[in-house]
Amino acid sequence: MIDFEEVEHTADIALRICGRDLSELLVNAALGLGMLLADSADMPTDVVQTRQVEVQAFDPESLLVGWLSELVYWAEKDRFVCHKVEVQEISSTHIKAACTGSCVPELRHHIKAVTYHNLQIVQTDRGLQTTVVFDV
Amino acid sequence: MVDSRAIKRVDKYLYEIDASFREDMRVPARLYADAELLEHALGDASVDQLVNTATLPGVVKYVLAMPDIHQGYGFPIGGVVATQLPDGIISPGGVGYDINCGVRLLGTHILEEEIRPYLDELATAIYNYCPSGVGKGGEIKLKSGELDRVLEEGSRWAKARGFATDEDLERTEVGGCLEGADAAAVSAKAKERGHDQVGTLGAGNHFIEVDVVRDIYDEEAAQRYGLFVGQIAVQIHCGSRGLGHQVCTDYVQRFQQTVQKYGIRLPDRELVCAPLNSPDGQAYLAAMKAAANYAFANRQVLAHHVRRAFVEALSGKVRNPHVFQVYDVGHNMAKIEQHEVDGKRITLCVHRKGATRAFGPYHPDIPSVYRDVGQPVLVPGSMGTASWVLRGTEEAMRQTFGSTCHGAGRSMSRTQAKKKVWGGELREQLEGQGIRVRAGSMSGLAEEAPSAYKDVDRVVEVMHGSGIATKVARLVPIAIIKG
Repeated sequence: MIDFEEVEHTADIALRICGRDLSELLVNAALGLGMLLADSADMPTDVVQTRQVEVQAFDPESLLVGWLSELVYWAEKDRFVCHKVEVQEISSTHIKAACTGSCVPELRHHIKAVTYHNLQIVQTDRGLQTTVVFDV
Repeated sequence: MVDSRAIKRVDKYLYEIDASFREDMRVPARLYADAELLEHALGDASVDQLVNTATLPGVVKYVLAMPDIHQGYGFPIGGVVATQLPDGIISPGGVGYDINCGVRLLGTHILEEEIRPYLDELATAIYNYCPSGVGKGGEIKLKSGELDRVLEEGSRWAKARGFATDEDLERTEVGGCLEGADAAAVSAKAKERGHDQVGTLGAGNHFIEVDVVRDIYDEEAAQRYGLFVGQIAVQIHCGSRGLGHQVCTDYVQRFQQTVQKYGIRLPDRELVCAPLNSPDGQAYLAAMKAAANYAFANRQVLAHHVRRAFVEALSGKVRNPHVFQVYDVGHNMAKIEQHEVDGKRITLCVHRKGATRAFGPYHPDIPSVYRDVGQPVLVPGSMGTASWVLRGTEEAMRQTFGSTCHGAGRSMSRTQAKKKVWGGELREQLEGQGIRVRAGSMSGLAEEAPSAYKDVDRVVEVMHGSGIATKVARLVPIAIIKG
């Protein structure tokens, strides 16, 4: 289930993300970031590409930051925005996934980085939840 | 959130939170503000973030918030934190993602009335010469290995390539080159992000602005800085672009484990750090210096582009289109400096995140032409509002580790700003005030609406009234160029 929303932050942008498990949380985080980067209406449908990502970290939070940082890097490098993620391997410190998306003509936001500010992945009744602050 | 009852007033514009406020604080926290700015600061998490920085190992005297403080991530924006060498910490989050984001002020011999008929052409020429927008590359193509020279030599590289004069370098903080930068400490990914962005403006709150010097408050300093009423000046606000963002990202990620190695306990993971004398601390310092040099080179190349734009748009139309450098100073940096603490001169690592260095008269690090009046401090306002030139003072050396404010400081989120202001309307409003606007994105323009910021004049008044940095000149914009 796609589950994320933008929350207010004075200087930057924050995203509240939920997921039944870590895999879904990471997928939703990527899709939430995609929404910040480009309007779905602006996404070209004729030049879709799939890219492989693999991130190794040492705990779930560093995995989340490492994963999103990879997508931020691509967004800046060639304006690649992903709108579909297929997780191939997952553990609390490792993800391997195929990200499908396209290179958009213009990005909606300039996201400089993914921060660790007050970052915590917590267990709730609905599953896992976290809030990520982006530096913009 | 910090309650106002925990804050005591120690001077007209100075407030303090005692170190006993929270068990993990090592030193008190001080805020420069008036009543209204203090209320602003207490309205979000900025003061909590300031208190968090007072827990860092090796922190000395007190942590400081400038009057433009606002909520950041980890450290607040507008914060100054000094740690003692050799084993005090250095924190990438205490510098921020945009390493050596800063301001360059260029002066001219042109009067406002001379330029008015050609302002549209000038604004368009600057916009065309200075690439802007998210991730946009520039026209400077670096040869293989040349990026490493940019990282290790900063503005000196720019001079070797013909983009700078000796005077430009002399009038840049540390001559536009931090010694000890190491390109090998910068990741391949960071270099990939930076290889085609030298001489580009980027997006967000970065801008180039054509200003008129409206008021002079300090004749002696203004004369020394080459400023006079009615003069056209240019501000460039920009940093180390994607390269700096990646350097910070890399080291914040790496230091997540480093803090465990050194047994450092922190209230927020964004505050991760390493002892300065450790290999980890040294690696970050060398990488941060490299990114800072990239930023100096970036602003230098942008200044070169601005000069070309002035020649193209104004040759034969004004008496003298020459553009000279007043000063260039960063506001996101960690610097190794000597300061007096409790009567002793000690070596410190001064983290300034959204704070400007403001060294007083006769400091050896000030260019010789300005040495007896103090370092020029450049404080850009929010879009469409005034900007200030201040001068550093002895009081800053005594009270704030030679630091002052860096701008107006945000008071409204970008999302809120966009809900309240429509970019096109804002543009019309600015044009109605006689300000030319060249912007790549209308929503980007709305995010930077002046109503989303505090009043820069008020922020400057607090610094002036505290004697930390005193007023020299007030500039107003006539053309804004942004991504």
